[in-house]
Amino acid sequence: MAEHDLTARLAPHLDRHLVFPLLEFLQERGLYPEEEILAAKLRLLAGTNMVDYAMAIHRSLHGGADGDGAPDDGMAARRAEVVDRLVRIQQTGPALPLYAFLRDPQLVQLLRPDKQYNLHMLQERFQIGPDQIEALYDDAKFHFECGYYSDAAAYLYQYRVLSTNSDRSVRALWGISASEILNRNWDAAMEELNRLKEIIDSKNFSSPLNQLQNRIWLMHWSLFIFFNHENGRNGIIDLFFQDRYLNAIQTNANHLLRYLAVAVVMNKRRRNMLKELIKVIQQEQHSYKDPITEFLECLYVNYDFDGAQQSLMECEQVILNDPFLGKRIELGNSTTVPLRDEFFENARQFIFETYCRIHRCIDISILAEKLNMRYDEAELWIMNLVKSSKLDAKIDSASGTLIMTVNRVDVHEQIIESLKNLNTRTYMLSQSIVEPAQAAQQAAKGD
Amino acid sequence: SLSQVEAKPAAATMQSSSRFWGQGDSESEEEEEEVESEQGSDSEDDGGRGGGGRGTQNRYLKTQEDDSDESDSGHRVIRSLRDKRNEEMRSIVDQMRNAMKINDWVSLQESFEKLNKHLEKVVRVNESTEIPKMYIKALVLLEDFLAEALANKEAKKKMSSSNAKALNAMKQKLKKNNKLYEEQIQKCREHPESFEDEAADDKDEDDDDEDEDSEAEIEDPDKIAISESEAEVDEENENDGPWERKQTKKDKLMDKQFLKDPSEITWDIVDKKLKEIVASRGKKGTGRIERVEQLTFLTRVAKTPAQKLEILFHVISAQFDVNPSLLGHMPVNVWKKCVNNMLLVLDILQQYPNIVVETSVEPEEKETQKGADYNGTIHVTGDLVAFLERLDTEFFKTLQCTDPYTKDYVQRLREEPQFLVVAQNVQDYLERVGNLKAAAKVALRRVELVYYKPQEVYDAMRKLAEQPEDSVEEGDAETGEEHQALDDNRGPPPFVVIPEVVPRKPTFPESGRTLMDGLMSLIYKYGDERTKARAMLCDIYHHAISDEFSVARDLLLMSHLQDGVQLMDISSQILFNRVMAQLGLCAFRAGLINEAHGCLTELYSTGRVKELLAQGVQQSRYHEKTPEQERLERRRQMPYHMHINLELLEATHLICAMLIEVPNMAASTYDKRRPMSKTFRRLLEVSERQTFVGPPENVRDHVMAATRALNKGDHQKAFSVISSLEIWKLLRNREHVLEMLKLKVKEEALRTYLFSYSSCYESLSLNQLTTMFDLSEQHAHSIVSKMMMHEELHASWDQPTKCIVFHSVDQTRLQGLLFQMADKLSVLVESNERAYEARTGGTLEGVPPRRRGEGQDSSNMGKWQENFVSSQGRQGGGNRFGGRGGGSGQGGGYQRDYGGRGNQGSRGGYGGGSRFQDGRGRNQSGSSARGGGDGGARMVSLNRAGRV
Repeated sequence: MAEHDLTARLAPHLDRHLVFPLLEFLQERGLYPEEEILAAKLRLLAGTNMVDYAMAIHRSLHGGADGDGAPDDGMAARRAEVVDRLVRIQQTGPALPLYAFLRDPQLVQLLRPDKQYNLHMLQERFQIGPDQIEALYDDAKFHFECGYYSDAAAYLYQYRVLSTNSDRSVRALWGISASEILNRNWDAAMEELNRLKEIIDSKNFSSPLNQLQNRIWLMHWSLFIFFNHENGRNGIIDLFFQDRYLNAIQTNANHLLRYLAVAVVMNKRRRNMLKELIKVIQQEQHSYKDPITEFLECLYVNYDFDGAQQSLMECEQVILNDPFLGKRIELGNSTTVPLRDEFFENARQFIFETYCRIHRCIDISILAEKLNMRYDEAELWIMNLVKSSKLDAKIDSASGTLIMTVNRVDVHEQIIESLKNLNTRTYMLSQSIVEPAQAAQQAAKGD
Repeated sequence: SLSQVEAKPAAATMQSSSRFWGQGDSESEEEEEEVESEQGSDSEDDGGRGGGGRGTQNRYLKTQEDDSDESDSGHRVIRSLRDKRNEEMRSIVDQMRNAMKINDWVSLQESFEKLNKHLEKVVRVNESTEIPKMYIKALVLLEDFLAEALANKEAKKKMSSSNAKALNAMKQKLKKNNKLYEEQIQKCREHPESFEDEAADDKDEDDDDEDEDSEAEIEDPDKIAISESEAEVDEENENDGPWERKQTKKDKLMDKQFLKDPSEITWDIVDKKLKEIVASRGKKGTGRIERVEQLTFLTRVAKTPAQKLEILFHVISAQFDVNPSLLGHMPVNVWKKCVNNMLLVLDILQQYPNIVVETSVEPEEKETQKGADYNGTIHVTGDLVAFLERLDTEFFKTLQCTDPYTKDYVQRLREEPQFLVVAQNVQDYLERVGNLKAAAKVALRRVELVYYKPQEVYDAMRKLAEQPEDSVEEGDAETGEEHQALDDNRGPPPFVVIPEVVPRKPTFPESGRTLMDGLMSLIYKYGDERTKARAMLCDIYHHAISDEFSVARDLLLMSHLQDGVQLMDISSQILFNRVMAQLGLCAFRAGLINEAHGCLTELYSTGRVKELLAQGVQQSRYHEKTPEQERLERRRQMPYHMHINLELLEATHLICAMLIEVPNMAASTYDKRRPMSKTFRRLLEVSERQTFVGPPENVRDHVMAATRALNKGDHQKAFSVISSLEIWKLLRNREHVLEMLKLKVKEEALRTYLFSYSSCYESLSLNQLTTMFDLSEQHAHSIVSKMMMHEELHASWDQPTKCIVFHSVDQTRLQGLLFQMADKLSVLVESNERAYEARTGGTLEGVPPRRRGEGQDSSNMGKWQENFVSSQGRQGGGNRFGGRGGGSGQGGGYQRDYGGRGNQGSRGGYGGGSRFQDGRGRNQSGSSARGGGDGGARMVSLNRAGRV
């Protein structure tokens, strides 16, 4: 099932640190050999300062703790270096006066929303200049690389308050988002991402290409949030369906369609987006395809119910193996994958709805097969639907069929409907003609 | 000996000429005037000759201008052009003075005209708009003299009739002419001294120049060399002959001139000679080919690599000059030589990296004298890219002009690798020196030679290029230096020997795609807008012929080329049209009927496919082309080997239209839905009007016959008629395409059948359908389901029995009429709203019409943009299909939209003569495309208007 794994396509658009959760998940699922994942992790860690973690992995990769698997000197040296730097930051770093200032709540009160004023004030009264502020950024970055995400976030918040360097403050914003995501502070992360989005959309980027890249990053990062935040399901649809973002997906990140498709399927209130989604999927079918998009295509383009069902079966594995979709929740002693269940429930309903729309009479046993259910299960399900008047049909229990009531719009109604519109429009027209004329008349009288 | 005798007069002429020099500055004016006046009257006789505005009189003084005889040996180039012109002018003025003295109005008039003509030249040479003071002075002088002459009635009476006539003419002319320079004349009259001084200064300066000149002349090594050679080489005296004879056989003379010990030929000699030849460009009596030969000879005697390079540049441009007309092309053998010269140039540049070719820097006078061992950079003026582009254009032109069915054409095509190798080398060179912008231009040229080649053709070209050269073409090996050696093998071997460093064979990667990709990335990075756009089109084209529809489509949509295609130059528009055609074919092969139709329909809506694709001239019924237009059009034509097969294109278009239109027609027997393809409908009407239907002959007949069959649901016959077309054999994957076509025909037959006959059935089993249309059960089920979902078919499945149960939704006649009325009413309301908007738009002060117009426009744009994104884009794209006709048509469409609002609905349609039809077609599609969104917008604006 590794063929539908998107990690390799997602990773280039994510921060180094954001890839770890994905790798963790993969490790858990056991899709790839353990060693490969560990090696990948190690490579990933090489660019960070999380040396202890790297050493641990190195040990487990090269045969436990028994001597020969011990990390080489390079790693040890690096560790010493990192620790040294950390100590220096805390003791002699250039930003120390700034930390002292920030630690004092009374002094922090002195800050005002006006950045220029703040800079001036810091310079005048505390001899804290731009250099210190920039050092704050560097320290934050260092902490981030060490894996101290909450520290990094805290520093970066401060930095953003003080900094006047717009380029760096955008980067700081990315850093905050990453930190918050890694700290699982979804609300805060969402907020930061929205801020980022504003910047990306509003700012005149150096080049459209750059802007596109930023949008794609934003979408990838937001996946973490959208599949964890309670309002994420709407969020993802809102964001991804914006023209510019949809465009970006089509241009350079069509694998994101999977998440969009899942989100649309699961979101009952956003059914209207389905049409647009299908259109996009169809356009991109040559460059991206997975069981989830195939399912929608079968169902809504080809009306191939067997095919749809086939893809739906495959969807299960895809969802389970996807780091964002296959999240498990332990309830007591059973684990469930809530997204999968929800997806299946909705997908089943999709099939059923479509099926009913074009049928007058359906054999329930076949229906059950199509829905991947047992007969009595299916019957119960249908009964519930009929009862809750979501479905206008009757079950013929003797022959085991479901008979749909065909309701079509009366011709007269149609005609009336089409003329009703004319009526309002004409009314509007006359209104707007008469009003100015009356106004003019009154004006004339007034004179 | 005879030779000595003959040599003497030559020397004597030279002497006398230098004596004249001396006279020019040392003697009093009077004497000179006498001479001149005589010659002035001479010039009267052979007036035509002096027409160039040059005094013929001072023949010896100004031999520079005379290429017909003596002393082409050097002193003509010595003086700068500017001094020369001023000098000539002065002499004309002097001549006029003389004429005044003898009261000769005829010659005065002549001189005056000459002076005026000359004035232009002088001004041009001086590079200022200022009128030379000398001229003004002359005018003053003339005016005075004229007044005097007119005052003296007595004298006037005595004049000869011709003289008097001239006087009167002069009076008129002068009056007219002087008006232009009134101010200056006024000034001159007020301060005659300043003008006088100036003139005198000029004169002095010039005298100095002349002095120098004459000195230079004495020292002229060239001449010395010649006289030496004449003195020394006795044996060849027969040929040596007098100057006049040598003149006629310049190349021989050159031989003689340089036929001596190489050490005696100096850089100066060669340089002088070069300048001389270059200066002769465009003169009467200089053979273009001779110039090339002379220059080629010079390349061999060039003393330094830089000089050789300089001369080579001149050779190349002289070679381009060989064919003067725009229509014809450069002779093939000259072209080949030119290619070789280019390679030679590149050799030099490779060998001596310190030589820099530039156009911006004006090289110093003696720049090229620096030898091979010179270390600094040497600047040589030249433009490799321009040469290369010209070379390409000439190649293109030959192919345009050659009959494609002859062997010549094929032969010529085989020479393409030769150009490619030059292009490749130039590009390499430019990349090496870091001129990537220029490299991108060159890359584009290469792309344009490769883009239309499918892999098979590309492979053939690659093989051809890899063959040993002599087997490619026999005459090829003797080109270049060897060739020149053949021409005049008496000549010495070239002084500067440049080894062949640059590869003489092009290297091609395995697949055309790789080559394209490589070139593309260079162009995208460094090319200018036009280069990029063209390259992009070529890229799309290449993707399309390689059956990568989705890639091609995405490229086209992402590039937004459709937006700006109307603003591009015509050849790019043609390229765009070709791309669209190829994209349509590609979509068709991939089985994407709608897409294919979208791409092609626009091309055929005008009925001028040939013109749009530049594949032949089409006669227009509505309007005759002027010869000028025709010539232009001919110049745009694509060479035959780049053509897109028109029959295939037409078949593709019509079949797509058929597959779309037939079910559409069947569905809309009651409600008159708008036809999807107007062209197809029209053709169908024509064919239905025929009384007798013969067996199909051309593509159109075939498709019409198939349509008739399909209409009845007879898919077998429809397919067999279509598959009997000859053109399918042009397709690479013929079986595959026909298979696809068969399936499509079956599908559409099924749909048509259901549309037409559903009213006759209460129920219909799936089984029956599958047997009728030879489709798999699943497939048929899918098609019928789709129709049900889209409410094209009012029916539903009965699953246990696998039957379609039809719902009777037949409208009664009354109901049908009611629907029609509702439609018409909505049209009425709509036009009311428009009228209202147009009125208030003009009168309401709250909503200025301009603003509103823009609002509409931008909303429109927004919608189109959206089309790109959400890509019904393809359909949208098709609609916006450019082309020239298309472009103007579209303009019409817009106008109509706005015009409609302004109650001038008919105006837009008449946009441009013959374009009437497309204009009309476009209007409709345009307005319908705006459809719903527009309605909404209108409602909004209406509200706003109401409130105000």
